[in-house]
Parts: sequence; structure tokens; C-alpha cells
Amino acid sequence: MNEVRKQKIETIKTDVLCVGGGIAGLMAAIRAAELGARVVVAEKGNALYSGRGRAGNDHFWCYIPEVHGTDIELFLKECLKGPKLRIMQAGTSMKVMRTFLENSFEVVKLWDSWGIPMKHGGKWEFAGHSFPGDVFTHLKYKGHPQKKILTKKALEKGAEIVNRVMIFELLTDEHGVTGALGIDTRDNRLFVFQAKAVVLGTGVVERLYPSPVPGWMASTPGCLSLTGDGRAMTYKAGGTLVGPESPKRHPGPRYFGRYGQATWVGVLRDPHGKPVGPYVTKPDRRYGDMTMEARSTILEDYLKSGKGPVYMDCRGITDEDYAYMMEAFVHEGLTCLINHLNEEGIDLRKHPIEFGTYHIYPEAKIWITEKGETSLRGLYAAGDESIVSIGPAATYGWLAGASAAGFVGTNDARGVETCMEHIDEKRAMIEEMLARKNGPTWQEANVALQQIMQDYAGLLRTDTLLSAGLSYLRRLRKKAASTMVARNRWELVRGLETLNLLDLGELVVLGARERKETRALHNRPDFPLTDPMLDGKAIFVRMVDGEPAMEWRRTE
Amino acid sequence: MPPVIDQNKCTRCATCFDVCAEDVYFGTEEGQLPVVSYPEFCFHCNCCVEECPADAITLRIPLPEMLLFKEEGSDQ
Repeated sequence: MNEVRKQKIETIKTDVLCVGGGIAGLMAAIRAAELGARVVVAEKGNALYSGRGRAGNDHFWCYIPEVHGTDIELFLKECLKGPKLRIMQAGTSMKVMRTFLENSFEVVKLWDSWGIPMKHGGKWEFAGHSFPGDVFTHLKYKGHPQKKILTKKALEKGAEIVNRVMIFELLTDEHGVTGALGIDTRDNRLFVFQAKAVVLGTGVVERLYPSPVPGWMASTPGCLSLTGDGRAMTYKAGGTLVGPESPKRHPGPRYFGRYGQATWVGVLRDPHGKPVGPYVTKPDRRYGDMTMEARSTILEDYLKSGKGPVYMDCRGITDEDYAYMMEAFVHEGLTCLINHLNEEGIDLRKHPIEFGTYHIYPEAKIWITEKGETSLRGLYAAGDESIVSIGPAATYGWLAGASAAGFVGTNDARGVETCMEHIDEKRAMIEEMLARKNGPTWQEANVALQQIMQDYAGLLRTDTLLSAGLSYLRRLRKKAASTMVARNRWELVRGLETLNLLDLGELVVLGARERKETRALHNRPDFPLTDPMLDGKAIFVRMVDGEPAMEWRRTE
Repeated sequence: MPPVIDQNKCTRCATCFDVCAEDVYFGTEEGQLPVVSYPEFCFHCNCCVEECPADAITLRIPLPEMLLFKEEGSDQ
């Protein structure tokens, strides 16, 4: 083997390893470090600008008693009224959501004290993601500097941040998690992390389905390097995932894939200027247009029925609300959008923008308890992979960090000596990928995966399609694992991500086949009814003897 | 394809290479002009633009992603 491809091994010992330096990972690191644990954050990119909160956010779901009243149960119920939050939080237990809300205000106050502006004009201002006349659920804040501030805070508290390391495998023994394996994304180094506790915060699953522009991955609204690594690792290590099949779809500017639907202050209108929904008839910064939260596919429905396209129409917006929206775009991390508007001479006060419904992103979540514990001892998860969106990511990162610190205080390090065979096997796999001269690239494998997901587990799902898709997917997985080439470290990272996606894709197909009903965006023409017997239940999946085992359980 | 580096302004400090989450500048060496190795992976997060001390970077939105809009006065 070429000497250049041989991996140097570096061992890092710590109490708590945070996988991913996004919002959840940094919050976990800050909390665990201030509680006295030795903390290392392993980040695939650079923690200053990584994860879905990389360039900012402007809405923070939270419960503030002085605003919402003292009945938290009522507030939680009110929050889950719209399908968006309900679908987004499918697979997260009500206990976890309640615990998040209970702790969210503390985190809001902390952030504000750390210099992330959580107030407008000295007050808590709630706007967006809410139906007119109904309860306000999301705090409007100025999150553009959040990653820099949290990174600095983590370092101040004594956490060590190791950038440019992709964690791709958990190390376990019969008692639970003992560490993780990572690769240097630029140099020939393999990292063996030995940790008493591991907190996963690796974010959403992108690149599983084709992006809004076919064949153009970067048109996805999320981040291309977020590929569900935490979920895939948890599953492979025997941990429990939940609800892999539930599809979600986001609306936004067609082809310019971006989150931030509630940042837009306008009205969704058809080509004749008629509002497509019942909620607003003129731009109102307090609400945005909730039509797309009530039904994210309405934009696609209009196109398919010939009634489209649908435009986000901000005409008639007041000067004050326009300035408010433009500032919020910056905080939602959409500076590129503003620059594009300026360069193209597009003025939102004059030009309605076409909106579209983006591709599917189903997410198996990592099942967690209200303490942020996964089903594996010593393994915690927070953020988008267990309870989605910025407020929950910040709050559960904080809680999981405290739980992990508590765990390391009462448990000795067990070391990774029993994992040497496992480590050698993974090291050989990587070296082989780097050594192969001919074969498919990660991109080939990823596009092949996307087309199977789209065509066999996409908008229409039937037993025959899903079963065919499953066999194609398994064949592809085997082929990709044994033939994929990585010409450098960058391609190696993409290749490992793609293997994770192939595992998660299989779980989507299996879950979709198991859910023999039609529910929300899970459309089974062979089972057209929504089965009330399945209300409040979800599919739990874990690996048993190398095979996926599924069961229906309640999620309360 | 994004990003676009102004060679005259660039000070070869490699800050862009340091911050990019997608590592589109993979292979850049300090003291050299940044290499945009994987432009198709640029997410336009704007971090390199913001961090560049010399204002040497602009992002170009690829044609397939251009915003689609209605001309002024084109209402039916």
C-alpha cells in the first residue's frame, strides 16, 4: 500500500466527547465543561461556521411564562396545533418536548446574557410561525453571531475544539459507549477518541433525496455536509432510532433552496393575485403567511393542477416591516439572498418571488429520554437529530451536556482496548477506499441513492415499489462499500457520509413499508386510510444481530 | 461558479480555507492563492465573504438557482 495513504493514529482521551460543533454540540460542551468535565468537541468543518445554525437564525421556539401564561401544558398543545411543528417533532416524546419548554426560557436568558440579542427594543417579541389571532410560539431574535459567541464561550469554559474531524463510528463495549473513531478531513490521520460519555449533535439528514434543482446538490436548503452521521452511528452501534419513514417537506424560494419560510413578510398569491390561503391578505410581520405551514405542499399542488405558480408577494409591506424583514434575513443566515436580490435588481417591494415545495427529507430520530440519554449507556443526543430546530437544539444541548457531565462523575473510563479489532477493520476500510484506483465516486453512489429514494420511497409508496427499492438499495450499498474510490480526504469524507446515507435510506424504506396507512405526506395508495389505531405511536428500529428490527411503540 | 476570488485583493491568508464548512477550498496552501476545488459544493453561506479581511471574495449564484420573480406591472 502507498505509504501516503497509511493512517497515522492519534488518540485523544476525554470525559465527554461532543460530536459536531453546531448549536447542540457547543451548548453541551459549554454545560459539561462548566460542570467540571473534560470536554472535546469534534467538528467536521469549523465550529465558527458549521451546522444548520451556522449563519444564524431568527426564530427561537420557547416558553416564556410572562408572555404565555403559567399553563405549560396548554402552551405545548397550542404549539402542536399546526402540522409543521407536529410533523417536525414526530418521533420526539411529549416528555422531551415538555422538558424542553420548561428549560427554554433559561437558555434564552443565558444567550441574551452572552451577547446573542434575544430581545427587540428591550422586549421579548414573538412573531412568525403563528396563526393570526392565535398563540405566538416563536421568539424573534438576532442569531447571526450565535456560532461565534457559542464557540468562544465553549473555549472560555475550557472545552477543546478539534476542527476538521469527521466522527464516523462509535466504539462500544458490553457496558455501553467507550469512544468514537474519526478521520482528519485533510490529513492522513485517524483519531481514536476515548470518552466516558459521547454527546451526538450531528444535525439533519441532507443528500438523501434529490435537491430542488435535480443533480445540483447545493440547491438543498440545509447543509451539504450534514448527512445524519449521528443517527447512522447510533443505529450501527445498536441504539434505537424512531420514525425513519415520516416525510417532511419545506417550502421556500423555488430552486434557491433555503429555510426561513417564516422570515418572509408577505402573502402567498396565485398568478392572478389571489391569496392561496385564508390567513393574510396583506403583509404582516407578526405572522407571515401560515398557509405553507398548514400545508407545505400547496405550492406543488398549484403547479400540478395548472393553477400555479405561487408567489411570495411582499408588495404593500410597510417601510418598517420591510426593514424588519431584511434585517431578519441577515439573522436567519440569508445574506446571500440579499446580495442576490441586489445584484439582480430584484426589489421585494415590487417583485413577487416564486415559491416551491422542496424535496422530501425523512428523518429517523435518535430516541432520547428527557435527560437527553439515548438507548445506549453513555450516549446522549441533542439538536436536530433528536428534537428539531434551534430552540430545542440549544436547550437539549444544554441538558444533555449536564447529563453527560453527571454520568462521567460517577463512571470510570473503560478504555477502548476491547475495540482494537473494530478499529483495525475501519482503518482498513478507509485505506482501501483511498488506495482503489478505479471505481465509482461518492457522487455516483449518492446520486444513485437519491434516485432510488425518490422513485421507490418518494411521494408514492406502495409495497411493490418499496420492496423493489429495498433490494436495489441493498445492492447499491454493497457495491458502493466495496468499490467506491476516494482520491483524497475530501472525497473520503463524502464517501463515508454517503455510506451513512445508504444505511439511513434503507431504514426509510423499511419504515415506509411497515407503516401500512396513509398519514400526512406518507402516501400509501395501497393503504389509503389513516389508521386511528396508530395515533400516538411510532416505528422504533434498532439493529439486532446485524439485521434491522422494528416495533410499534407509543411515543408519549 | 461560486466563490470568486479577486486575485489583486487577496492577501493569501487562507482565512476562507479555514472557515468553510464544506471545505470547498480543499487543497489551499497558506501563502498561496486559495484554490476553489469544489465550487459545486458551495452552499453560499457567505462565511468566507464575511471573514475575508481583504474583501476579496464574492459569491456568484449559479444560474439554476436564480430567484424566479414576477416583473413589475405584469399582473393580470
